[in-house]
Amino acid sequence: MLCAKDLALEYRTGGSVAHAVDTVSLSVEQGSFVGLIGPSGSGKSSLMYLLSGLKRPTRGAVAFEGRDYGDISTPGLIRLRRQRFGFVFQQHFLINYLSTLENVMVGAVKRNHEAVAYAQELLRRVGLGDKLRQRPYQLSIGQRQRVAVARALVHRPAVVFADEPTASLDQGTGRDVVNLLADYRRRDGGSVVVVTHDPAMLTGADRVLQMRDGRLSPA
Amino acid sequence: MENPLSLLHFYLRNKRKVLPVIGILALAILGVVVTDSLLASARETAYATFGSYQKLILVAPRATRDQDLANPLQDSLTRLHEVQLQVDALDGPGGISSYYNAVVALPAQVRAQLPAVQQLQVDAANARYYAARLRGDLVPLGDLIIRVQRLQSEQKAFEELVRTLTQNPNDPRPLITYLQQHQTWLQSILPDAAQLGRLQSAVTNASSDAGGLQQSLQAMSRDTANVNAAGRSVADIPIPPSPSATIDGFKAGLDRLTASLESIQSAQPGLDKLVADSARIPGTAFVKRDAYSNLDINLLAGNAQFDLYGLDQPGMAQLLSLYDDRIIAGRLPKADANEIAISEEIARSRHVWVGGQVGNAIDELDRLPDTFTVVGIIGGPTRLGVIPLDYMTQHYLFERRYQGLVVVPQPGHEQAVHDQVQSLIGDSAFRMFDWSYIKGKIDSLIANLDTINHFLILLVTIVLALVVGLLNNLFFRQRMNEFGLLAAVGYSRWGLILRVAWESLGVTIAAWVLGVGLGVAVLSWFNMSFMLPHGLLMNIFDWNVLALHTLPIPLMVFLFGMGTVAWQLLRLDPISIIERRD
Repeated sequence: MLCAKDLALEYRTGGSVAHAVDTVSLSVEQGSFVGLIGPSGSGKSSLMYLLSGLKRPTRGAVAFEGRDYGDISTPGLIRLRRQRFGFVFQQHFLINYLSTLENVMVGAVKRNHEAVAYAQELLRRVGLGDKLRQRPYQLSIGQRQRVAVARALVHRPAVVFADEPTASLDQGTGRDVVNLLADYRRRDGGSVVVVTHDPAMLTGADRVLQMRDGRLSPA
Repeated sequence: MENPLSLLHFYLRNKRKVLPVIGILALAILGVVVTDSLLASARETAYATFGSYQKLILVAPRATRDQDLANPLQDSLTRLHEVQLQVDALDGPGGISSYYNAVVALPAQVRAQLPAVQQLQVDAANARYYAARLRGDLVPLGDLIIRVQRLQSEQKAFEELVRTLTQNPNDPRPLITYLQQHQTWLQSILPDAAQLGRLQSAVTNASSDAGGLQQSLQAMSRDTANVNAAGRSVADIPIPPSPSATIDGFKAGLDRLTASLESIQSAQPGLDKLVADSARIPGTAFVKRDAYSNLDINLLAGNAQFDLYGLDQPGMAQLLSLYDDRIIAGRLPKADANEIAISEEIARSRHVWVGGQVGNAIDELDRLPDTFTVVGIIGGPTRLGVIPLDYMTQHYLFERRYQGLVVVPQPGHEQAVHDQVQSLIGDSAFRMFDWSYIKGKIDSLIANLDTINHFLILLVTIVLALVVGLLNNLFFRQRMNEFGLLAAVGYSRWGLILRVAWESLGVTIAAWVLGVGLGVAVLSWFNMSFMLPHGLLMNIFDWNVLALHTLPIPLMVFLFGMGTVAWQLLRLDPISIIERRD
């Protein structure tokens, strides 16, 4: 489904070259839960950006459902992210002036009654069914992150990328958030790629891969 | 559910941030609408006030009263002193009194032999009588001439005061000093109607007495000749020496005084010919003698002199007909009456109606002698004021000198008639006032205000663009996470720019509509409460002002504010935002 081959991402700073991602090949099957762990600066977030099309690789190729990103225009990649991928980041990035439900609807591709109903359903699933009209500043940090998860899932993405989604949460809340993603895989059949530095969060993952110095190895 | 990223959502949920910006912009636009409309009003009112010049040419004496009266008055005073000296000479040694005494002293024997001596004595007595009267006549005349001269110097002092106050309006000291020094004295020398009447009476009396004196002197000459002829046959008759040389000198002095006084009272040389020649210009509808005066009125941009036409009765009717104006209350002024008819806007401006009074006695800035009663209100497209020509020229000594003429060209012949009148005037002591001249003066007056206004609009636009641009940037920075997230999850960059553009456009359009709406409301109130009651014009729905002059502000604010945000959005790196750990 999502396939990366010999991916490399280099940064040139002055005369030297930094290898953020160094010749990484990876495939994410439909409905799978892949965990990427590694210390800070190991390149796991960079790899996620390459896989999700947020960055173009220096070398190598990424293909989603058989289409190479290199053959897709920038607007095409933007559409791909919007329609087929979901994102959860370390920070919730909720929009302050919107309600919980409206924040979730920001991620919706279609804004019809069905989408609204699904958004409400997602909020119920993440335990916020009674806080549809609340504003982000009225929620706890953990609740905000669960809203961010619902926002990432509202358009039923094929792949959900979660970059350190538990970093700013306590252990229990972090586990809840990861469980929500795992639950999405189980219920809706979407793939989930979770980047974290905490292996304890990946107990439900199908595969856990270790990143170190830009290279990938089984954990 | 509506789009959570819709404009409505944005505005409703960000009222505290959006409303102040709308308020600031709206107030600025309100300011521009009001100042621009007032300026346009000043121009339109000025055009309307002097609109009569669009259909006529006024030809007036070139010199002002100051310039033109100074020399004849000084000359008359000099002549008057000459005449007084001559009167003194007539009364002194070798003069009429000596002659009379000598005739009276002739021996009875001579009187018996020469009956003509008796007649000579009678005529000498008459001459002495008229000389004494004449001396009395000359006193008020001299006094009045001195008063007018002092009044002229007072006017110069007043102009100097105005100039000083204009330069430093906040300092009342020059005004207080002036009032303290001049008020009593000014009132004592102001020539009023009674004084002018006394002058006319003194001139008439002097002329009459001079005539009597001349007749007496002529009789004395005949008597002396008779006595001399008869005396040749009578030995040793001591006939007194004839005062004919003194009398001749007096007559010459009196003639010079009369000529000088006539020059004050007579019209400018060449006026009759100019009137006749102008009437013969092809394309001229009619020509009328005009004793022009004016009323002081407020034009919003400052006080101005509203020109009055001093015409004969047919001329008044012709003038109203020319402009499709009509009397809407009262009537036209009667001949030889201190009456005036004025347009209703001017009447409102002066707070008068039929029965009210205007003139120098009411407002010292009116160039209209004494007091005139408003007997008619004129309605119609053009503002007019008419006064009787004969009253002006027959009751006011100096107005005869300031007669001019109005030349009315037929439609389509304006330029040709203008050129012909110009050529007739040549280098003579007249000058033309027509619409192009008047409009040029108005435009020149307004141009400075226009420049200041445009500068202010530019300044406001720049300041607002900077302020709102800065606010936009601050607001944008507060929303950086929002834009970073949207860019990361698949909202296109241009879509985000378009969204911000719509947000900014909505704010500026709302501010513009609010500002213009407030402006119209304020102007409507101001028009009803101030402009109309003062006869001032204001076009509240002047789209040139409402649209063209106000749009640069929201446009510049939008472009500048939007430009800076768009620039930042184009350079936005969503990864740098989502990787921020703050």
